[in-house]
Amino acid sequence: VRVACALAPDLPLAAVLRASPELAGLPLAVASAPGPRAEVVAASPEAVRRGVRPFASLAQARAACGSLCVRVASPALERAARDALLDAALGLSPRAIPAPPAAGIYAGEAAVYLDASGVGSLFRSEEGFATALGAAVQKVGLPAVASVAGSRGVAHLVARSIARLGPGAVRVLPPGGEAELLAPLAIDLLDPDDELAESLSRYGVRTLGELLALPRRALATRLGPAVLALAALARGEEVEAQIPVPARGLLVEAVDLDFAIDRLEPLVFVLRGLLSRLATRLDARALAAASLALHLDLEGGGRDERRVGLAAPTADPRTLLRLVHRALETRPPGAAVAGARVEAQGCALERDQLDLFRPAGPAPAALGRTLAELEALCGSQRVGSPALADDHRPGAFAMVGFDGLRSAAPRCAAASPPCTDGLRSAAPRCAAASPPCTDGLRSAASRCAAASPPCTDGLRSPWPSSTGAPARCAPPCAGGFRLAVRALRPAVRAQVTAGSGGPSFVRSAVANGRVLHAAGPWRTTGSWWFAEDRFAYDTFDVQTSDGTLARLRYDHRSGAWEIDAIYD
Amino acid sequence: MPPIPFAAGDRPPDRPPEPAVARLLRDLGPRLRAGGDPPEPRDCLPSGLPEIDRLLGGGFPRGRLCEIAGPPSAGRTSLALSLLARTTAAEEVCAVVDAADGFDPLSAAAAGVVLERVLWARPVPGPRLSEALRGAERLLEAQGFALVLLDPGGRERAVPRSAWARLARTAAASGSTLVVLSRERAAGPQAEVALELGALRAHFAGTPLLLEAIEIEVVLVRQRGARPERSALLRLGAA
Repeated sequence: VRVACALAPDLPLAAVLRASPELAGLPLAVASAPGPRAEVVAASPEAVRRGVRPFASLAQARAACGSLCVRVASPALERAARDALLDAALGLSPRAIPAPPAAGIYAGEAAVYLDASGVGSLFRSEEGFATALGAAVQKVGLPAVASVAGSRGVAHLVARSIARLGPGAVRVLPPGGEAELLAPLAIDLLDPDDELAESLSRYGVRTLGELLALPRRALATRLGPAVLALAALARGEEVEAQIPVPARGLLVEAVDLDFAIDRLEPLVFVLRGLLSRLATRLDARALAAASLALHLDLEGGGRDERRVGLAAPTADPRTLLRLVHRALETRPPGAAVAGARVEAQGCALERDQLDLFRPAGPAPAALGRTLAELEALCGSQRVGSPALADDHRPGAFAMVGFDGLRSAAPRCAAASPPCTDGLRSAAPRCAAASPPCTDGLRSAASRCAAASPPCTDGLRSPWPSSTGAPARCAPPCAGGFRLAVRALRPAVRAQVTAGSGGPSFVRSAVANGRVLHAAGPWRTTGSWWFAEDRFAYDTFDVQTSDGTLARLRYDHRSGAWEIDAIYD
Repeated sequence: MPPIPFAAGDRPPDRPPEPAVARLLRDLGPRLRAGGDPPEPRDCLPSGLPEIDRLLGGGFPRGRLCEIAGPPSAGRTSLALSLLARTTAAEEVCAVVDAADGFDPLSAAAAGVVLERVLWARPVPGPRLSEALRGAERLLEAQGFALVLLDPGGRERAVPRSAWARLARTAAASGSTLVVLSRERAAGPQAEVALELGALRAHFAGTPLLLEAIEIEVVLVRQRGARPERSALLRLGAA
């Protein structure tokens, strides 16, 4: 068994720098609490060089370094940093587990163990794997060192031993020679408790080699059973259980704000950092966010929790930020925000196989982002692919999910059969009164038929019906260009002066003037068995004196005239 | 005897003087083209209407902002649906940003549009066009939509010039064709191609009276790099 260990030595400092990278290079101290009596938990190398020492009071630290930047330790940031360390490890190995929290002088470190068995073939060597591990951890914003050894404990000891070399240091203990290589390491790396450390010091035991050279029984007699555990750890004798595959859970990024934010722009600025870090973690694990939740801690103890709609999984931080911004614009928080947390449910990135013989459409990831943003802009019910509805109601249509290139078998308009039925095509009004057509062409048969049957539904028209005349259908179509309609949703009310021959004058927001030509009426009725949904229209094609060609209809239910489409 | 060195800035006497035009071509590189060279062939989206394609020299150029302007009943929608039908029939993916909420799927299907290949975004109607403009920009940024139709619903005058410039830049970067359906030309110099449509007459005939067709005039009022002010007559409806 081979185990790798990635170790971030100074987590409180690393977590602050991960959230505020602009502080890198400055004298920085992380305090346990606000106020001058708070204790310095961690200090940057620049601050240490100027005399700031961990465990000193903040007042003493400020006295030593006047330009000291101070941040209060944030449990939320540290939790997110620990999770980020695990995410970076999971990007390289499917089996990874966080190390149990350390105590004593190593309380501020965070470590993760990875199953490194067989990685040499993927990364050429275990050194290559350890280097890639260190780089992956640095990519998520944490300075870390990496080691590979035969057990978790030994790998952890080695990682601690190279932490002083700085971020990016790696060391590999080859199988078999571990005891020899561990011998010169300091005994402090085992983190013994204070009493045991003092006893070992009195015995003159300062390295692991010196400890292992002592007889085991005598050690237990003189120093107690605790030292045996340390000796076993130093020998690499611990029983190594298999590192499990973690569940694909939530990815959480959070921040506790020093001051409450009551305006949208600064809040979005804070959320930008959160989402950027979240996207980096998603990228490290090759995941996308399938869902996104935003939790805001409000001043006064309130909470604002909302889900941000994602039409498709995405890991793009700009898209996530736009969606969050949009959600906050639509419904601003009720009070100033004192803390924020974003949670993303990760899912595998969608892959797409390109087609050699079709034009390349939008990439699945880009399409997902675009759909998500369009839904945020327009609403989830107003984005999709248009479809013909199985409904005779005029203007009925449906919207279905858009899947781009993965759509149904393509239809070629040019391949549509020629119109040979002696009926005119391209009468959009027929579509409303007829079942959806399947060949892209629309026959005027329904219009002709609609014009011919006598009125049997008990509706009385204020004009003579054209049913007396034989229905004359148009000559065979010869490939002319189709006249389309522009729908008006909702239909525009019109004031119409109607005579015995139909409408003679129209006044409306879209068409005005004397009616020059009027064709119709064509009656469309349906859903008469439902009192609420029934409809009955007499429809005319009219040309008004202002040049507009409109589809004008008389609604028998409301007794009103309206224009539901313009020929355009 | 060794050759006498030239002073700095002199040219060897055995080389002919460099013509000014050649020097300009060398300095300015590909930005200059010697007169008389034929223009490079453009990649176009054919409209499916031979008269329009002849007028435009092949169709609507890819990666450019194009404008189709005209009053109601002038044939804008019919021309746009024909372009959409031709493009989707070529298995390309298209998008319609419909601020007017006037796209009629029945009419589009009748025109031959493959509806499965059309993404239809319907911003909530209102006085602001920002959602429609943002939506069009996102669709262009997605890179893969051959055609993005933007229908501002007659409110194109409210669009600032900077927005047109931004859309034109995004279209150029993405390779998608952005076609704007407007009542009056609004994109100005940002439009690579601008067509103005006008209705000539409508034909009603038969017993009972039926709307047979409309005749429209299409005027090419702007085409970058070509002589505009050419026109074509079109008959829309049953032939």
